[in-house]
Amino acid sequence: MNSPVYVLNTAAKRENQREAQQGIFLAVKAISSIIKTCLGPKAMLKMILDPMGTTICTNDGNAILREIDVTHPAAKSMIELSRAQDENVGDGTTSVVILASEILNSSEQFLEKKIHPHYIIKAFRMALDNAIDIVDQYSVPIDLNKKDEVLKVIQSCIGTKFIGKWGSLMCNLALDAVLTVHIQDEDGRSEIDIKRYAKVEKIPGGDISDCRVIKGVMLNKDVTHPKMRRVIKNPRIILLDCSLEYKKGESDTMVDITNEDDFAALLKIEEEYVQRICEDIIKLKPDLVFTEKGVSDLAQHFFVKKGITCLRRLKKSENNRIARISGATIVSRTDELQESDVGTGCGLFEIRKIGDEYFTFLEECKEPKACTILLRGASKDILNEIERNLTDALNVARNIVLDPRLVPGGGAIEMAVSQALSEKSKSIEGLYQLPYKALAQSLEVIPRILGQNCGANTVKLLTELRAKHASNPTENYTFGIDGDKGTIVDMKDLGVWDTHSVKIQTLKTSIENACTLLRVDHISSTSNI
Amino acid sequence: MSNKVLMIDGDRISGQDVRNQNVTAVTAIANIVKTSFGPIGLDKMLVDNIGDVTITNDGATILKMLEVEHPAAKVLVQLADLQDQEVGDGTTSVVILAAELLKRANELVQRKIHPTVIISGYRIACQEAIKYINEELAIKVDTLPKDFIVNTAKTSMSSKTINDDSDFFSKMVVEAINRVKTIDYKGDAKYPVNSINILKAHGKSAKESILVEGYALNCTVAAEGMPKRVQNAKIAFLDFNLAKTKMKLGQKVVVTNVNDLEAIRDRENDIIKERIQLIIKSGANVVLTTKGIDDLCLKYFVEAGCMAVRRCKKEDLKRIAKACGGTVLITLANLDGEESFDPTALGTADQVSQDRVADDELIVVKNSNKKAASIILRGANSLMLDEMERSIHDSLCIVKRALESGTIVPGGGAVESALSIYLDNVAATMGSRKQLAISEFAESLLVIPKQLAVNAALDATDLVAKLRSYHHVAQTDSTKKSYAHSGLDLFAGKVKNNVEAGVLEPAVAKVKCIKFATEAAITILRIDDMITLTPKQAQGDDHAGHGH
Repeated sequence: MNSPVYVLNTAAKRENQREAQQGIFLAVKAISSIIKTCLGPKAMLKMILDPMGTTICTNDGNAILREIDVTHPAAKSMIELSRAQDENVGDGTTSVVILASEILNSSEQFLEKKIHPHYIIKAFRMALDNAIDIVDQYSVPIDLNKKDEVLKVIQSCIGTKFIGKWGSLMCNLALDAVLTVHIQDEDGRSEIDIKRYAKVEKIPGGDISDCRVIKGVMLNKDVTHPKMRRVIKNPRIILLDCSLEYKKGESDTMVDITNEDDFAALLKIEEEYVQRICEDIIKLKPDLVFTEKGVSDLAQHFFVKKGITCLRRLKKSENNRIARISGATIVSRTDELQESDVGTGCGLFEIRKIGDEYFTFLEECKEPKACTILLRGASKDILNEIERNLTDALNVARNIVLDPRLVPGGGAIEMAVSQALSEKSKSIEGLYQLPYKALAQSLEVIPRILGQNCGANTVKLLTELRAKHASNPTENYTFGIDGDKGTIVDMKDLGVWDTHSVKIQTLKTSIENACTLLRVDHISSTSNI
Repeated sequence: MSNKVLMIDGDRISGQDVRNQNVTAVTAIANIVKTSFGPIGLDKMLVDNIGDVTITNDGATILKMLEVEHPAAKVLVQLADLQDQEVGDGTTSVVILAAELLKRANELVQRKIHPTVIISGYRIACQEAIKYINEELAIKVDTLPKDFIVNTAKTSMSSKTINDDSDFFSKMVVEAINRVKTIDYKGDAKYPVNSINILKAHGKSAKESILVEGYALNCTVAAEGMPKRVQNAKIAFLDFNLAKTKMKLGQKVVVTNVNDLEAIRDRENDIIKERIQLIIKSGANVVLTTKGIDDLCLKYFVEAGCMAVRRCKKEDLKRIAKACGGTVLITLANLDGEESFDPTALGTADQVSQDRVADDELIVVKNSNKKAASIILRGANSLMLDEMERSIHDSLCIVKRALESGTIVPGGGAVESALSIYLDNVAATMGSRKQLAISEFAESLLVIPKQLAVNAALDATDLVAKLRSYHHVAQTDSTKKSYAHSGLDLFAGKVKNNVEAGVLEPAVAKVKCIKFATEAAITILRIDDMITLTPKQAQGDDHAGHGH
């Protein structure tokens, strides 16, 4: 009886051993080839049409990969990689994918020679540990007080992006914003919360050079009543998260009204309630009232009479930022308002008209621990791209402030590490030597692609660079590729630097991911699509 | 044919055919997992029908995700699951062993030996094997140097992705498990693995994983204004909503006096306010709840300098409550029909703080009486982190077993080879047909060292023969007892003393593995008829409602 025995779900696709490994290599190569051209100052943009029909133009590695729909599990893990990099340091999302793919591919030759992945992984891990030491050794500390130098670094990091032309402006913005939200704990812990306290606001129109950091908060809101004051110096601010109108109870209530008087009384109670909460507020003599909920016409009337400006329907995050700059506490019941809840830290409240819309500015704060970055630009697409780049710049600035160490950019550090590892590989015994050396060589992919993207003669350039590094590794480690001209230059002269934390993270994630994928020898996919 | 006679709507296979089929199925399953076995085993990448990717080396996880369809193969999947629950590790070896036992039994049946004879032979062999492990092979941990436990942890991770950093992780695992050590009422030390919380965060490298003293929660404080660090914390554990009181669905209040309406609204606000004041008055300065906290209520906590965390996981909350000596409250109501907050329900901790890890913030509850630990894993991406979590969990289980049972055995195929020699001798004393079954059992055990060698691309035949000769000497020559510790060294391709090399496994794990594998093999072996009914066809629309 030779009838087949079905042990497993036959709909599933299975790949074994060699087949699985080859599949992984192909998938990974495909991913890296997509974003290869997005590296360096001569990077090209990608235009992506997503399922919703909107187009995205970007050269940010993570943003591109996020939008691409992939099916191969290994490709998915590459995309995850880029995301993890973005979450952690916010930069180097392209290079991490390119590097991981190159490292993985460098191991292919060993698998063909039937070297067990275990040895390759072990060699890679050894190389990773050494590489980190080497990067540490080549890193240069930077003085945070010298603003010019810090600016230069940020500039070199975002030089590849669209806003390169307005580079210095964006760098100023990023650094300003980061320094504003930088808080040092009593026990020396630094906290920089860009996500919450450095808000980017985009207003289409105007010129890119009009972008600026507002040391305070900007809201896309107008006063609720036209007669309210629009400019207030040193305002007393009250923040609420309850509505200033009559609201029904949470429970289902029903009122049986049997006579006419009761109806009038009911309406009166509602009015009295609004009046009462307004009086609670007015008692504290505020100049400005913000609430997350609505404000009834009646309440507006009371406020106008007392010369109080009122804004409604703020977002919780906006309210939090205002609380942070003004020192006010957000109150949810008006009868619990106290003097200490009033914020006085803000210097100027003003409503300005930009284009067709009104914007509220809260500025000149005594201790601005939150800020808004105002972006102007010709169209929404451009603004979105600027925002993505600015986020990168903000992350770079944050990384520098948290860990003020630099390494030479332009592929110089990769070349230096590659050089040092190659040298070291000679002292490694056994099966580990070859994979170790292969990893060292695969690091050269970064300078190579930099060269490729600017149309230089890669082979010639790379050999020259390698020779330079080999001739005097301790002196020449700053030599890299000028991504604009395609020549070899000293990064010290060119002023292209990367942050230490980004480079370390790139090495760690790419090598570890390559190791994880190398360990796979069976792929079973049950996708029923 | 036969199904027509029996009026069965389906297929029926019986006798040798079904045995052959079962063995084929079981072998197929074993073939899938066997390459992931041992320190040089590789991982599997599995994609489920939603498209989620899992990369794993854990036998139980692989089998669970494979969507096995054959009934006999399903027995094996359950077997792996059982081993996972009972021991936590050794899931791959149990599957390989069961498949091998079955394969050999089937050969015996083909030589016209009745399955029941084989079954009783296997039973005897299994009992003898367990007895031998417990009496001869198991080593009391007291006689070993202190670092044995680290070595046990290391052995269990050797096949996993964290192998390269096993020095680092084994120390972490042992430290974590020692931290949660408790003594139960009988005076035995217990190591609840559940008290160790494993959290995952993207980024950095595996080596930057940290062990946190105390329990870490993947939550943040509810409001910005709250303190981020509370010393000498008194913690209230709540399992109810701190929001404006609302009647349950479908209840209506009918008001006749209009002034009452206002009173109802006020009361709604006040009820929760009073509750919060009860909590704060009891001295609590940290409030953890599984449900939400209304913005309205946050303010009271902010004003009282109280740290409130909402949407904690219930299991987490229970564990913290246990570690801090508090009680999880589901209501504030007391027997008198009033509401009160009993200060004895508060837990105490040295410090509760919100710490930043990667892009996330964690709440860490620290306690000096050391009853909780958390491991925060770092790694390149979530696939890797998931696999690391599984590995750490397996390792924790193994260390726990080793510490609780107090006996360990050398790994690397040492036990299996010793047993195979011993059982061969036992078989020789049997004067019945069972002899054959027992000697096949002995032979089957060798699949473990063989597979280890094969995965490491070594000459299995040669190595296993060498290994057996060492064990033979150990069992016959009383002066060379220490040869019983010989196992494989897969990197050097040699036989070595695995107790000295620190390749150790808890004896319980081995015993359970052999027991479960034998039981599973016997279960499948007893089958001599398989009836598969054709699944009822979904009836067409026009036939709907008409039964036949």
